[in-house]
Amino acid sequence: MSIREKDALGGRAAVVGIGATEFSKNSGRSELRLAAEAVRAALDDAGLSPADVDGMVTFTMDTNPEITVAQAAGIGELSFFSRVHYGGGAACATVQQAALAVAAGIAEVVVCYRAFNERSGRRFGSGVQHREPSAEGAALGWNLPFGLLTPASWVAMAAQRYLYAYGLSPEAFGHVAVTGRRHAATNPAAYFYGRPITLEDHAASRWTVEPLRLLDCCQETDGGQAVVVTGVERARDLRRPPAVILAAAQGAGRAQEQMTSFYRDDLTGLPEMGVVARQLWRTSGLAPKDIDVGIVYDHFTPFVLMQLEEFGFCKPGEGAAFVASDVLPLNTHGGQLGEAYLHGMNGIAEAVRQIRGTAVNQIPGAARALVTAGTGVPTSGLVLGADGE
Amino acid sequence: MTDGLYARLRTYEGRGTTLSGVGKDLVNEPMIRHWCEAMGDTHPAYAGPGAVAPPTMLQAWTMGGLSGHAGRSVAQDELFGLLDEAGCTSVVATDCEQEYLRPLCPGDRITFDSVIESVSERKTTKLGTGYFITTRMDVRAGGEPAGRHRFRVLKYAPRIRKPKDGRPRPVINRDNAGFWEGVAQRRLLIQRCGGCGEPRFPWLPGCGACGSPQWDTLEASGSGSVFSYVVMHHPPFPAFDPPFAVGLIELAEGVRMVSNIVGVPPDKVRIGMPVELEFLGVGGEYELPVFRGVSGASADTDFSKPDGAPDRAPGPVAGPDPAPGHDLRPDPSSALRVGAALPSLAVPVTRTLIVAGAIASRDFQDVHHDAEIAKEKGSPDIFMNILTTNGLVGRYITDFFGAHAVLRKVSIRLGAPNHPGDTMVLSGTIGVLEGTTAEVRVVGANSLGNHVTGTVTVTIPEAAV
Repeated sequence: MSIREKDALGGRAAVVGIGATEFSKNSGRSELRLAAEAVRAALDDAGLSPADVDGMVTFTMDTNPEITVAQAAGIGELSFFSRVHYGGGAACATVQQAALAVAAGIAEVVVCYRAFNERSGRRFGSGVQHREPSAEGAALGWNLPFGLLTPASWVAMAAQRYLYAYGLSPEAFGHVAVTGRRHAATNPAAYFYGRPITLEDHAASRWTVEPLRLLDCCQETDGGQAVVVTGVERARDLRRPPAVILAAAQGAGRAQEQMTSFYRDDLTGLPEMGVVARQLWRTSGLAPKDIDVGIVYDHFTPFVLMQLEEFGFCKPGEGAAFVASDVLPLNTHGGQLGEAYLHGMNGIAEAVRQIRGTAVNQIPGAARALVTAGTGVPTSGLVLGADGE
Repeated sequence: MTDGLYARLRTYEGRGTTLSGVGKDLVNEPMIRHWCEAMGDTHPAYAGPGAVAPPTMLQAWTMGGLSGHAGRSVAQDELFGLLDEAGCTSVVATDCEQEYLRPLCPGDRITFDSVIESVSERKTTKLGTGYFITTRMDVRAGGEPAGRHRFRVLKYAPRIRKPKDGRPRPVINRDNAGFWEGVAQRRLLIQRCGGCGEPRFPWLPGCGACGSPQWDTLEASGSGSVFSYVVMHHPPFPAFDPPFAVGLIELAEGVRMVSNIVGVPPDKVRIGMPVELEFLGVGGEYELPVFRGVSGASADTDFSKPDGAPDRAPGPVAGPDPAPGHDLRPDPSSALRVGAALPSLAVPVTRTLIVAGAIASRDFQDVHHDAEIAKEKGSPDIFMNILTTNGLVGRYITDFFGAHAVLRKVSIRLGAPNHPGDTMVLSGTIGVLEGTTAEVRVVGANSLGNHVTGTVTVTIPEAAV
């Protein structure tokens, strides 16, 4: 059991292709078309053809079924297909499932993808006003009559407690935003290319849900991103240097909810990410000091601080100071605050570029990257490394 | 899009609506008494020999009452007629600015002139789409200038209320129905595990601590404190007026639940603030458990202590009942400085208060007494008229500054409506203090947001300064 012991998946599979559409506020085309474009781009990048693919993994909350994307992208028979639930928490888990299928011999080449018109179509940030009386709906339903309706509001409830516990002010969240936007400013693919911000800009931006300001929230995006996973042996024969999956993990905590885990602990951490962190460190045999680049899920700034603390990069309450110190290269593509909010899939692609040495904001000699998935929800994470690391 | 109607409406700017209008009654003691009873205003200057009228009654003396005014000019009728034809059939007051030049005494004969000052462009509000009309009225008593009254109304086409515009409904299923059945009986029920005895929330069919499927319920005492909270600003939702606070309440029984914090302005909510359970009737259809901040505590008490700090007694409570004899005055010598906060005053917004205030101010607009018509006009229920709000604001100030305080000017703007069942908490801050004159910024917040914001200028006896 991997919560307690090192698992047997580490080092068995690799990411060999990445591909994306442009990131925009209005793609002007269907989500299915975005998915098919991203999948074909990722296969081209890997030097593989649609005919090589026999597995597909995606998210729920999506309009792109595996079989339909397969049809639209020229992919034929599939022996493995699955969808991972819980929004952005699925991102790294799609790669984990692909690696599992590859390691078990169920599939050989698996494409993981996410594509949506999350800005011009259904915006998560616009909030929820109705839920069906399922168990999930009822869980969220405790919040709805009182007007706690948006992802920002669910994060803000924990963020307020975090500030209180550590005697901080909302300006503490600014360092994450400034770092993301600094990297986005030099990334031509980023939505906020050429538009860095300062701590003063952050502090002057309007409240969305106190203690969160506009610049604590990611930029909702239209776009698609795909990655291709295969076994390490085959990966070595392909066009690009493989980004080996040194460790992959999912995590849910005790009394876990989706975004509203308000009834446990002190709300100053992300216990589910703690579950992920323990597994990743154990299986990879690595520690925070071994990580060259951190791609830390940043739909809202406060949870970046809590993640860094859960992973042990710094002590509880010291996340803001840690980010300000710039010791760990963080979200070098600009993150979801600066590049695009694509439920974390674009972050996996950035980690692959860093391992390959092809990122626009390349960290020299980057050999190991940590990637995390959606926060506040059951989540997942990856450690990717250069072959031979 | 050009707005042809707007061009026509603008031609009424500057036109008089009343010339030498005459108050239907002389200033008189019975109307003063009815007013003071409705407002809960016990200021000694308004009763007994030598009594004067509460200055905030200024407009009441000019009201046409149930039968309306005969002497109104054609200009206002035409303007309102044009708007009625355009579907803007409803009217609601939004701003009131009054300046008091001399006291009004029983026997004074009131005359007044009014003029349409301005008509706004077409505006869309939560109530509907329409035009703001500002009128100015000069009031005389016995021929002498007595006061000036500037009044803004929105004349609008009511928005059709769809069910989706109300609060999002609770999500009820077989696992949590017992909770909502309890709430319908105004009881807050917590599950308690039959295996390990742990109380738990939210409701689930088994225990997260021990896995036992056995459980019973215990009724919450209703006491709790704010464990965390947020203030919602953006995006807006039809049922809520931002900014408003949503709290994560830790009940005395040790479980937490999300709810609204009422009776405290959102910027005064703090972690650790004590709260008490109450039930909010939503549109007369269902109940919601909400939590009232212990008023007075917010302004004066520092809750920002880490956990483990000793429990503190709630701060001074401004009584929830505006009963005669109720007195807010602290030691004035310590209170009178710029930036000082006045003790807050909680006013339960009962149906009786809304109707009594409307009648005492001779305002027979149906939206202030007829719930069915109010709903047809886009409101979930009847709502308090601006004259009552004005009277309550005036009372709040003179309650604080004492028997010799005289109101000089009251300028208010209305926001979230005061519906029955809500509570409005008035709070004030001294903004300017010059000689014997103070200017106080006043906010009245209810569960939907700020009902009223404004400033009051008051002259205070020299001894108090």
